[in-house]
Amino acid sequence: MFNNKKVNIFLLIIGIIIFIFLPRFVSGYWVRVITTIFMYAVISQGINLMSGYMGYLPFGNAMFFGVGAYVTAIGMSKGLSFLAVLPLAALTAILFSILFGLPVLRLRGHYFAIATIGMSGALLAVVQNATEITGGAMGTTLPIIDKSPEVTYNYFYLAMLALMVITTLTIYLVIKSKFGFGIRSIKANEEAANSMGINTTYHKVTAWAISALFTSIAGALYAYWMSFIGPDEVFDIMIAVNTIVIMLIGGAGSILGPIIGAFVISLLSEVVWSTFLEYHLAVLGITIIIIVFFVPKGITGTIADFIKKRELRLRKKVSV
Amino acid sequence: MYKVGENNIILTIKSLSKYFGALKAVDEVSFEVKRGEILGLIGPNGAGKTTIANVVTGTYPKTSGTVIFEDMDISNLKPYQIARKGLTRTFQVVKPLIGMTVGENVLVGSLYGRDKRNTDMKNASKRAREIIKLVGLESKKDSLVSDITLPDLKKMEFARVLAMEPEVLFLDEVMAGLNSTEVEEASILVKRVRREKELTIIYIEHIMKAVMGISDRIVVLHHGRKIVEGTPQEVVNNSAVIEAYLGKRYAKEVNNEG
Repeated sequence: MFNNKKVNIFLLIIGIIIFIFLPRFVSGYWVRVITTIFMYAVISQGINLMSGYMGYLPFGNAMFFGVGAYVTAIGMSKGLSFLAVLPLAALTAILFSILFGLPVLRLRGHYFAIATIGMSGALLAVVQNATEITGGAMGTTLPIIDKSPEVTYNYFYLAMLALMVITTLTIYLVIKSKFGFGIRSIKANEEAANSMGINTTYHKVTAWAISALFTSIAGALYAYWMSFIGPDEVFDIMIAVNTIVIMLIGGAGSILGPIIGAFVISLLSEVVWSTFLEYHLAVLGITIIIIVFFVPKGITGTIADFIKKRELRLRKKVSV
Repeated sequence: MYKVGENNIILTIKSLSKYFGALKAVDEVSFEVKRGEILGLIGPNGAGKTTIANVVTGTYPKTSGTVIFEDMDISNLKPYQIARKGLTRTFQVVKPLIGMTVGENVLVGSLYGRDKRNTDMKNASKRAREIIKLVGLESKKDSLVSDITLPDLKKMEFARVLAMEPEVLFLDEVMAGLNSTEVEEASILVKRVRREKELTIIYIEHIMKAVMGISDRIVVLHHGRKIVEGTPQEVVNNSAVIEAYLGKRYAKEVNNEG
């Protein structure tokens, strides 16, 4: 947001430190709410990489969340430790993203978005019916951590915070790299990108694999945190819908957009929920429509425009 | 100065055809391009000029024929593979990377483009800056491509392909939409860059005047077929060319007078 790089890094470190110590000052309820916000920010970053930067909206991205959650549940029920099962969960999700990505990333625009919904639905059906492995539609349980709830919740709070920071830093570095220019070119004009020597298929599949990686780790942490998961819950299309809204409100194609969006939407829904107990979804929906109407570029995009305009005005004054 | 090599063929197009259903957009066209020359590819609207560029650079799959680039058959490769080998093009309708600045557009060309060269961020940025300076876009470097004029967009696209450091470059109607002063400036720029970068250029144009002053040799297309090939002088006096551009009756009159 500011032009000075050192100031930015300093502010970010201050922010991270505040969040590390925040659980000491707020109730357990808020610790859980903020953990969810971190989780949504991670999933939204994965969608931001695909859609905000590359122009491919992965409507079914919740499937990687579900894959991460289920591989963790199954692995841990077989006696593996969480840290041993985590790489397996991530690798499985990456494998799915490559297998699905090679055919469907040839589709453009809405067709890609719809195809990913179909895949997410297909995976859900498999998980619901492979009862012997997954526990079927009834869901499955994970071992519970043998510590007090407060300690456990703090542990997941910090783990989710770390995941959000690592995800954001990784995607930031990816975007600033040669590969980042490649995927931004694909969003801008795929035909031109191809004629400039960019292997578009390779870029698209790799970007989706990165997206799947972080989304599946979020799913793995979620499963361990909840210690019970059901297929309808972790493959829920609303996970993707919510995180797409978060990206749009925060600012698509901006590195802090998903984080800001996750806080704004989640805190907004907390307020709405406590004020309008019966109509909270309707009120929330209308509020989102109003925000999108007046802030089409998202919060970060609008702030950037404001700063640019002010600079132009200052420059004009100087030249006069 | 760089010399146009005698019989030094860099690109060979052999009985290349591209059909769209019953329409023969390009029909058994053959010609060769010498290293370092500017070859004008002309013809009335719909003659198949852009289709040849699209097939040779891989945008459209060919129907039949071969394209040999530096002893390699490239007619089955994808656009990005052909670009990496050193053969690239500009687009008749400019295709800027919207949402990026002029500098970033050129940087993408510099980062990707031809392979077997240093494309790390530092080198690529340096190369992009030099080329932006070469085409005279320094003052627009930080402008978004959506905020600049058409002549500047054309310069940007030219800079972007130069940053890819190709050996052979298709320029597809780069002068379209420019006024006469701008056409003059662009011609000078193309000639200068060809010399400095030792480029081979295939120059597609349907305005005869623009192509005559700049080309070493000219290939004339009509209804998807090659009708004449030769120096600008030979081409301009050829009755088939006059017929293609001005109609049969006018061609007869010209011949009678001559």
